[in-house]
Amino acid sequence: MTVHEIERVFCPVCLAKFKFAEGWKEGDLVICPICGQKLKLARGAEGWVGERPEKGTEKEIRERSEEFARLRGYVFGDVKEEIIEGLMGKYKRFGDFYCPCRMNHTPEYQCPCKPTRGGDVEKNGRCYCWFFLKKT
Amino acid sequence: MTKKPKVYALSTCPYCKRTRRFLDEHKVAYDCIEVDLLDDDEQDKALEEVQKLTGRSSFPVVIIGDEIIVGHDEERLKKALKL
Repeated sequence: MTVHEIERVFCPVCLAKFKFAEGWKEGDLVICPICGQKLKLARGAEGWVGERPEKGTEKEIRERSEEFARLRGYVFGDVKEEIIEGLMGKYKRFGDFYCPCRMNHTPEYQCPCKPTRGGDVEKNGRCYCWFFLKKT
Repeated sequence: MTKKPKVYALSTCPYCKRTRRFLDEHKVAYDCIEVDLLDDDEQDKALEEVQKLTGRSSFPVVIIGDEIIVGHDEERLKKALKL
């Protein structure tokens, strides 16, 4: 009997695994369906991992936010540019794109933060920063 | 003469910037602590102060006399500063 295990890709931003789609191969650029991060597929010791091709750049965080908003059907608040600027500041000082409105520098507060990924925008109409808003 | 207002802010937070801009525009002299830019020890101390004052760590925090305003709130700022 052959056991077909579903292959998954580890996302280093949201620290979750998503399904490996048919036809993907090493080096392909894919979007994490959970956080919107663009990832380059690589084979690690423990399976597929996504690498961040433009790590730490403004392009990376802009694209991640846009993709996340697109995936969830959210729109941006009027603080968008200030938040991007704040996220760049967080990267410079704390090494990653942590929520600019908080003092939590753990992976779960990488933008989009865990509460946001978990549905805060549906619940409250907005994320903590008013960066992502529910469409009205 | 009452004490100068004190602001606890994050350098990356848009709402902290708005609060500071509001105070600047109204020519209010204040002390500002940018918590995220402090060294580790001072940062811990500032975060403890914020926690003690407000029961959480949300920013900005503005202290005007006995009044503690959490978040950017122009109406409360105006009232507290008698603007």
